[in-house]
Parts: sequence; structure tokens; C-alpha cells
Amino acid sequence: MLGRRGTLPFLVGPPLAWLVGLFVVPLFVIVLFSLRPESGIVPPGSAWNPSLIQYGKVLDTPAFLRLLGTSALVAFIVAGAATLLAYPVAYFLAFRAGERATLYLTLLLVPFAVSYLLRIMTWKLMLGPAGVINSLLSGAGMIGEPLDLLLYSRPAVVITLVYVWIPFAALPVLAGLQRIQRSQLEAAADLGAGPWARFWRVTVPLSVPGAVAAFFMVFIPTVGEYVTPTLIGGTGGIMYGNLIQGFFGSAGNWPLGAALAMIMLVLTVVLVATAARIVNVRRLLS
Amino acid sequence: MPVHFVRRAFVVLASAMLVLAACTAVSPSESATESESASESAAVSVAPEPQEILVLEWGGYDDPAFFADFAAASPEVPVSFEFGLSDADILGKMEAGSQADVFHFYSGWQQFYVDQGLVQEIDTSQLTNWDKVPDSFKAQGQVNGIQYFLPWDWGFSSILYNTEEVPEVTSWDVLLDPAYAGHISMWNDGPAAVTVSAYVHGYDETAITDQQLADIEAEWIAQKPLNAFYWSSEYDDLCPGVMDQTVWIAYAWQGCYATALYEGTPVAYANPSEGRNSWIGFYGISADTDSYQLALQFLDDKLADLTMSNVVNLFYYGAANQDVMDAIEDPVLIEAFGVDDPAILESTNFTPPVTDAQRTAWTEMWARVAAE
Amino acid sequence: MRRRPSPAIGVGRTRVPLRGFYVAMLVLLYLPIAILLIFSFNPSQRLAFPLQGLTLDWYAAVLGDASLLKAARNSLLVGAGAATVATALGTLVAIATLRFRFRGRSALLGLAVLPLVVPFAVMGVAIFLLLVSLDIDKSLFTVVLGHSVIALPYATLIVLSRLGGLDPALEEAAMDLGASYPTTLRRVVLPLMGTALLSAWLTAFVVSFDEVALAVFLVGGDPTFPVLLYGRLRFGGQLPILISMAVLLTSVTIILSLVALRLSRRRE
Repeated sequence: MLGRRGTLPFLVGPPLAWLVGLFVVPLFVIVLFSLRPESGIVPPGSAWNPSLIQYGKVLDTPAFLRLLGTSALVAFIVAGAATLLAYPVAYFLAFRAGERATLYLTLLLVPFAVSYLLRIMTWKLMLGPAGVINSLLSGAGMIGEPLDLLLYSRPAVVITLVYVWIPFAALPVLAGLQRIQRSQLEAAADLGAGPWARFWRVTVPLSVPGAVAAFFMVFIPTVGEYVTPTLIGGTGGIMYGNLIQGFFGSAGNWPLGAALAMIMLVLTVVLVATAARIVNVRRLLS
Repeated sequence: MPVHFVRRAFVVLASAMLVLAACTAVSPSESATESESASESAAVSVAPEPQEILVLEWGGYDDPAFFADFAAASPEVPVSFEFGLSDADILGKMEAGSQADVFHFYSGWQQFYVDQGLVQEIDTSQLTNWDKVPDSFKAQGQVNGIQYFLPWDWGFSSILYNTEEVPEVTSWDVLLDPAYAGHISMWNDGPAAVTVSAYVHGYDETAITDQQLADIEAEWIAQKPLNAFYWSSEYDDLCPGVMDQTVWIAYAWQGCYATALYEGTPVAYANPSEGRNSWIGFYGISADTDSYQLALQFLDDKLADLTMSNVVNLFYYGAANQDVMDAIEDPVLIEAFGVDDPAILESTNFTPPVTDAQRTAWTEMWARVAAE
Repeated sequence: MRRRPSPAIGVGRTRVPLRGFYVAMLVLLYLPIAILLIFSFNPSQRLAFPLQGLTLDWYAAVLGDASLLKAARNSLLVGAGAATVATALGTLVAIATLRFRFRGRSALLGLAVLPLVVPFAVMGVAIFLLLVSLDIDKSLFTVVLGHSVIALPYATLIVLSRLGGLDPALEEAAMDLGASYPTTLRRVVLPLMGTALLSAWLTAFVVSFDEVALAVFLVGGDPTFPVLLYGRLRFGGQLPILISMAVLLTSVTIILSLVALRLSRRRE
């Protein structure tokens, strides 16, 4: 019979093997590629003469670094807004939906099975000068002319990304909220706390881990986002991911693309590690 | 929360998907093997090539209309497709050892395939439709005098503009004109931007100097805010913008011109003083294929009248089959391809081959423009 | 006491319109789908109002398009496969990280979440190069491999959040009663994490189902639906048939999910 300790290798082994084989090794390949001095198409099997030329190119181009910073900021705003707006949804599912919670949750996720490209095409319809949102706003007399910034701009990218991420962000928040036991809330009520007090002093603090998980889950991939900027960002909404995508796609310059990707990866890991440390310190202090 | 709920939900979901998958299963390979054994038992003494063909193709060209003649002549041969996203991607896939028998790419990349031994000569004596291809096109498919590539589709790049908002366009520099700020759309491609600047300033496309490239970069950084957006995909980025009249001036291929005109948008396709740009799509036969005869058959059928008319009529791209081009009656297409103008192909600027170094410099330049 | 204790904990009468917010969210999410549904009946090939009539032609075209149906089938299979692998591995990671102490514990968790940082296109190229060097042919199976890796962080995070709230005392109690640890996991922990596992599976499925940047590099001659869609969208005339296919797929997904939920609830 397998005790706790004996089970550990079976718990750690499969994921570790999978990740090493299908993630670490390929990532290593990317690192090797980023150290290639050749640009453009590199036939597999050609000699590898490591060099930092590609990294030099990136670090020497202030525009690239500024774009990285801007993309990280956009990701921060999107993650914050999405987590904030996801919170009421998750709260509803955890505490108000009762028996139907799973049904409601599934309903939230199903739209994601629809092609993102097609959904964004209809979203463009809604955001455009003749679209639903502008018609509503001008019909209500709130604006004189159609709002330009809703489409082909950086704000359009932010709005769309927040919209897309809310259901996903709700999941870790929900999981975190489900950890809260009735007994804790009952105890607070017994001590005289009203509903708002219970919310702020019991529910919110206990749900922080879920919210933090949601924030990171949104933040990290959004730094490298490129699909949404391509479709509705116009020239003002271009993000760092567009650069990477360009070099791996039509421009066919894998070494430079790899270097760009590695720099983004390092920055993101540093940001997340720092944030994780800050969050832990606060929890220790509270 | 009921304990066995989740297990049941999983089982139902998973089995439903398997059932659905079974219902939609279409297995051409099964029918192919059946007919293979049937023809084997007929005992014909032909070298036993595998009777299926894999094409490394651009998305959209897997439509059966684009190999209609082949499908009609050889219905038992399954045609499968591997997709490439760009010329660079297709070259990359061939280099990485793609199993494709035949691949499709556009002007300017011929040399790379030959240099790396990825392509073999096309035996044009076996092609029944070869005579219909104009000589100038045949020449573009040759490297060192050897016919490695088969020209198939072609077209122009020029300025597509809204005739209600823009007076007649006579020069490529309209793409850089601040008067139309917010209503221009440029293709998201560095080499294209270099080409436009080369036309406007009279630079030699094949010999752009560092100073010229720096000037070009500055020019396009200034141009960037004039765009509504850069377009990447003709039919889902550019065309809707042209048709809802957000975009008044665009770097475009003639496909969008025809599409927009058919939908009633007031557009025209410019004949700028510097000349239009034109490009040709080529097919090559992989050096490693074990279905050479089948590939030849496939390419020959690709040049046939029905298939090539489909390219013209369904996709609004030019066909390398001159008979088909001469038979065009639609005035929109006649205008788009300049069929009326016999000198059009002489006054046009074909995309020249560029070296790896040039391509790298130009794409990196464009990335800097995008990042500004 | 100054206030009466509120009668229903968590299920109370506050003035915050939570249900309204959820419904508004749902409306916003389904609005594009509703628009797609409307346009799937529109004979015109443009995505623009006004409608030009009603037709079922596009749906008929979908049912007659073998390669389209095949691509949809491929996506379903790949999604189910990748979701199952990702959820299974994510659960293992969550349990190992939260219930055990060992060196490299946070490293394992970090590694499981790290694929989030790498853009899908980069992962695609990387795995593609790996396959090339190992001389492995591209196929739907290789897509499953790729998708399971990129979906793993989502599954891990979701299961982790839920497991964190589960009292370890339950497991100890079970083992005190004589159960082995694997049995405890199987019969005590997993059932209690039910919703989280389902969420994780659905999320992983959805991540894989619409994923194109990585799939394009790893797919062989047999494309998944998004790869086919992405390619076909280059083509003006293809838009309506693709919209109809997307609507059909969504309807099927909704129906399947509802059926699964209804069947499970009946047997309580």
C-alpha cells in the first residue's frame, strides 16, 4: 500500500517528464536560435556559431524596448480591469447561483469555442462608427459624433482584451471563493458583522489568492498578445507580440524573433517573481 | 455538490464528442486503398508511385475549384494540403523536410529553393498546357536556364482608391499623402514599403543603399499615423475597410478591387506613372518527391482551362494560361488586369529577386517602423 | 448586539445587482454569436447590415463540405485529448505542490505555469524544430502534444486555487481509516474538487479548440478547424460558410454541455 511519501514520485514524475520534453527542451532550442548571428531563413542543420548579435540589435533599438514597456503596461491594465470585473461574476457563481453554478459557468465558457477571428469581426461591427455602441450613445444624446477611438486604436485593444478575458479570469477567482467556508462567515455574523463587513473583512481577504492567480493568468500572456492588436489595433495599437509574430511569420527571421521572445520572457518572469514576493510579504504582515 | 456528478459529466462529454467525431469522419484514404488494390489487380506495368499527393499551399487554395481538372481526371487520387503562412514560412517548411510533393510560392524566392537543392526540373515536354503560358512568365520560372518553376497565378500591386473621396491617382506617393490622414491602409510588409519608396524616388530596388534605407525608414515612420490600419489579410482586413469606406487609399492587389467594385463601392485601380508592381505565383516539384509523374500530372491539370478560369472568376487573380486571360469578358476584370492594354506587362515592374541580406534589412526596418 | 445577524450567509439580500451583472456579461458574450447567427442566414457575403434576405444555403454548403467537417472533427478530438492530458497533469502538479514539501516544489509549480509566458507562435516553432530533429512527422497527435503544454498552466492554476481550500485533515482522516494515499486521492480529494476539474477541462478544451498560432506549425496534412478557417478567410467567398460552421459548432457545444449537466443532475 502506497503511503503519502511513496506516492510523490508518481505525482511529480509525469508532469515533470512532460514539461521537460515538450517545454524545456523546445525552449532551449529557442534560446539556441536566439544566439545565432544569421538573419532570415536558417536551414536546419547549419553550423551554430553562438553570438549575441540579435540581443544587441534589440537592446540597441529604443523603439523595441519602449514597445515592450508599453505592452507590459497594457497587460497590467487589462489584467487589473479583467480581474476586477470578473470578481462580481465569480461572486455570483459562488454564492448566488447555488445548484446552477456549473451551468452558469459553462454558459460563460462556451462562447470561447467560437472562432476568435469571427467573434472579433462582429465585434468590429459593434465598435465601428456605424456600430451598435456608437448608435446607442448618439441615440441617447451622449455624443455628437461617432467615437473614433473605439476602433483601430490602443483603447480599442484594451477594451476588447478586457472583454475577452473576464470569463477566464472568473475561473481562478471562483475557485478561490469556493474555498471560503460558511462557518467562517457564520462566525463573523455571530460577532455582529453585517453583510458588507463580512464581505470586506472575511470574503475579500480569503479570496485574494484566487484573484492574484487570475491577475497573473491574464497578465502574462497579454504581454505577448498580437492577434487583437492586428485585428483592431490600427497602427497606434501595435504591441510587442506583433514584432515577434512578424519575425516568425512573414519576415522569416527566426533568430531575431527568438531574441525578442527571450527578452520578453525574462522581463515577464522578473515582474511576476517580484510581484509574487510583494504579495507574500503583505500576507505575512496582515 | 454531488459526488459522482463530475465523472458522469466527463463521460457524457467525452463519449458525445467521440460519437460526433465518428459521424463527421470522412476517410478518403480508405476509399483510396480500395481503388488501389482494384487497380493493382488489373496488373498494369507502370512504376508504382504512391497515388496520393501532398501540396504545401496557401490557405484558401485548398478549395477543390483550384484543382478541378485534376479531380475530374483522377478522382481516386486524394489531394491533401499542408498550409504555409507566408513565403518565408513555406521556404522554412521545405527546408525542414516537409513531405510535400509540390509547393507554391511567389516572386522573388526562386533562387533560395535552387540553391538549397529543394526543387527539381519540370519536364515541360510532358505538359499539354505549357504552350498556353506566355514566354515572359516561363522565363521568370527559370533559374540558370533550367525550368524549375511553373507559373500559375499572377497579379498586380497598385493603389486602390475611392473615386468619390480621391481624385484620379497618378503616382504611388499618394500612399504617403497627409491630406488623407486616417483613411490610408498600407500592407504590413517591409519589402513592399521599400518597393513603393523605390518607385516614388526612383531608387534601384535591387541596390538600396544604407542611406536610402534610412530615408525610407523615416518616410514610413512619418506615414504611420496616416493609416487607419496596416492590413495583413486581403479579404478580411482590407476589403471590408474599403467597402465600408473607412479606407479611401490602399496598397492593394487587384482581387480587392474586383470584390469591392462588384459590391458597388466606387473604387478605381490606379495606373501610376511609375508603373504598377506585379508578381507571379509559382509551383515547384520537391526534389525529394517519390511521385514525380503524379506531380507533373497535377501541375499540368492546374494549368488547364477550367481550373485557371476558376482562379480568375472566383479569386480575381490572373492566370498563367493566356487562352483564359484572352477569353475574359467581364469589364471589371478587363480593367483590373489591363487585358485591353497589350503593353501592360511591359510597363509593369515585376518583383525582382532579393537577397537574404536585403530582405533581412528591410524587414528589420519595418519592425522599427511598427515599434515607433 | 447592535445588528441582527443576517439570516442567510452568502445568500443574502444586498443591493448589489449581482445577477444583473452576470446577465449583462452573458449578453455581451453572446452578442457576437447572435450576430454571427443572423449573418449565417444572410445571402450576401459581406458582414454588414442591412440583411439581404434569408437563406439556408450556407448550412447546406457546410454539410456538403467534407474537408470542413473533417477539420471540425479534428479540432474536437485534439481539444478533448489536450484537455484531458492538461487537466490530469495539472492536478498532479497541484497535489504535489500543496500537499508535499520537497526541494524544487516552487520550481515545479513555476515550470507548470511558465508556458503562459511564451507566445504560442514561438512554442509552435520550437516544438516544430524539436520534431524535425527527432524526425517525427507532424500530425494531429503532435498538435495534441503542443496544446497540452500550453493549456497546462490554466488547468494547474484552476485546480490549485480549489485544492488550496481543501482541508488536509480530510485526507488524514481517510488514511487513518486505512486507505492508501492513492485511494484517498481518488475517493476523497478528486470528487471534492469536482467543479474545479470540470472548469479546468473545459478551459483547456477551449484554449485548444480555437488555437491557431501553434497548430499551424504542428499540423500535418490534416488541419484543425481554426487552421482551415484562418486559411480560408483569405478568400472573400468563404466567409458565410465558415460563419455557418462556427454557429453549428457552438450550438453543438452548448447542447452537449447542457445534456451533460442535465444527465448528471438527474442521477443525484
